[in-house]
Amino acid sequence: MKQTITEKILSRAGNHPNARAGDELIARPDFVIAYDFPGYTDVIFQQMKEEFALDKVDNPDRFALFIDHMVPAVTPKEEELHINTRTWGKEQGVKVYERLGIGHQVSVELGYATPGAFAVHFDGHISQLGAYGTLAIGVRRHLLEAFVKSGIQMKVPATQRVSLTGKLGKGVMARDVFHHMIRTFGPSFARFQVLQFTGPAYYALPLEERQTMACLAMFSGAVTAVSDPDDIALAYTQSRSRISLEPVTSDVDAIYAGNQELDVSNIEPIVVAPPSPANTKPLSEYKGLDLQVGYLGSCASGRIEDLQIAADILRGKKVRDGFQLHVIPTSQAVMAEASRRGLLTDLIEAGAFVSSPSCDYCFGRQGVMTDGQRAISTGTLNVKGRMGSVNSEIFIASAATVAASAIEGKIADPRDYL
Amino acid sequence: MLKNTMKGRVAFIFEQDDFDVDQIVGVENIKIKEVDSLIKVAMRDYDPDFGSLVETGDFLIGAANFGYGHPHYPPMIAMRAMGIAGVIAESFSPGYWRGEIAMGFPQFECPGIQSLVQRWDGVEIDLTEHTITNLRTSRSLPFTPWSVGDEEMLQCGGIVQYLHHRK
Repeated sequence: MKQTITEKILSRAGNHPNARAGDELIARPDFVIAYDFPGYTDVIFQQMKEEFALDKVDNPDRFALFIDHMVPAVTPKEEELHINTRTWGKEQGVKVYERLGIGHQVSVELGYATPGAFAVHFDGHISQLGAYGTLAIGVRRHLLEAFVKSGIQMKVPATQRVSLTGKLGKGVMARDVFHHMIRTFGPSFARFQVLQFTGPAYYALPLEERQTMACLAMFSGAVTAVSDPDDIALAYTQSRSRISLEPVTSDVDAIYAGNQELDVSNIEPIVVAPPSPANTKPLSEYKGLDLQVGYLGSCASGRIEDLQIAADILRGKKVRDGFQLHVIPTSQAVMAEASRRGLLTDLIEAGAFVSSPSCDYCFGRQGVMTDGQRAISTGTLNVKGRMGSVNSEIFIASAATVAASAIEGKIADPRDYL
Repeated sequence: MLKNTMKGRVAFIFEQDDFDVDQIVGVENIKIKEVDSLIKVAMRDYDPDFGSLVETGDFLIGAANFGYGHPHYPPMIAMRAMGIAGVIAESFSPGYWRGEIAMGFPQFECPGIQSLVQRWDGVEIDLTEHTITNLRTSRSLPFTPWSVGDEEMLQCGGIVQYLHHRK
């Protein structure tokens, strides 16, 4: 008793009954997830073989590899990396998913977001599986541990609970809530902890929006985010879950490192100004600032809710002449659904450049900016050089704000269009 | 294996909270892989003479939430190659921390370190007593002991050696 959902998941995965924050244990991940990327997966495959003389991973069904960066390949070297990944997967009996979309989203669609499961990746944005009650942690190079040992060394993190109350205003999205939270509590308020979202305003959010909140956990200093799965989350995962696990939730008397409450009623649209994810500002401070590029996509956005609000704003209107609006749905499933709903037609007719799912617009491999250009983006990050030249700028905002700004070619308030 | 005490000078103090370590080499150089090329650009924006002044065993000092953002490995690869033996900060961002511990690079969380030392002061870190002493002023502060797992990894010299060592 008195355990958080995080402590319960690590108690089971670590075979350490009644684990508490601060306990150290070896936890066996239910899922080991990665995308192929130079310096990560290729190095891990090589180290497994050459350093550790290991031919096979322990239980290949636990592993999932995604080819979502450098898609489509633009150099032979990139395609060689993908071939290497496909070959390794085949030899190992490990599933390699490609051209299905951004892995963090596809992981959810394919049931790796199993409530109660413990998952690891080298990339921290895997935290978004937490919206379904999965404890998913980005462990950077420690991922090697999951490939060569059956479990990974963990210190059970304490939990910082954030309860959302009130009702979101029109045109204000989870993206605004997350960054408002950083502005309110600071960029390190959950340092080394798990961010646990709760409260009526959190559970009123659609699952996709909850995923957006959890996706960005790292910018609060947290190691990941999670929430107790409610009936909506359980209904979504029921037919998808890859393993049979009893979903777990936090005990009512669980012990938290902190309890924060955030009333979302008066939150206004925000922008995160360059060059740091800590630099959250009210949109009103930057309204009217000239922009050349808009990006709607990434693992933090680009889902149906985002495409829907963007289409609602842009329907019957035009993207400003000379403004480049890139709309990249997060997965093939999302893109197909957006197509069925007519959202893609609305966006295309408004002048958006709509392209197939890929991570490439988020990290400056496609749709790049040159010196002096400025973007409004739903991507994950606004550090210098993230989307091209180090002398370009990125303002992070919600999908609604990106859509409204595309009409004006300036930072615009989406509430003026809804 | 690390020695029980580490002694070195304060080679630089980063005073900014939420410091993004990529700035050490400059974001435009973050994809450079060759260590010699990284060394040429490292710290250029902070002290152009850093390369000629730094000595093996020196430390860097950070403020709160050091390593925030989206840290990459090249900056600290350059720092280690230039002789830096560890980083002492008020506090760290977990992604950075995890990444550098896996590289076998000692990191010390020491609240108050910014006011304990000035640039080029000598410091001694006692790994048994968990203290950091300014050798000029003789003032000491405790640092947060490493977790058992982190200490094992640092003692082994990084994740590869640690995984060989672990049964």
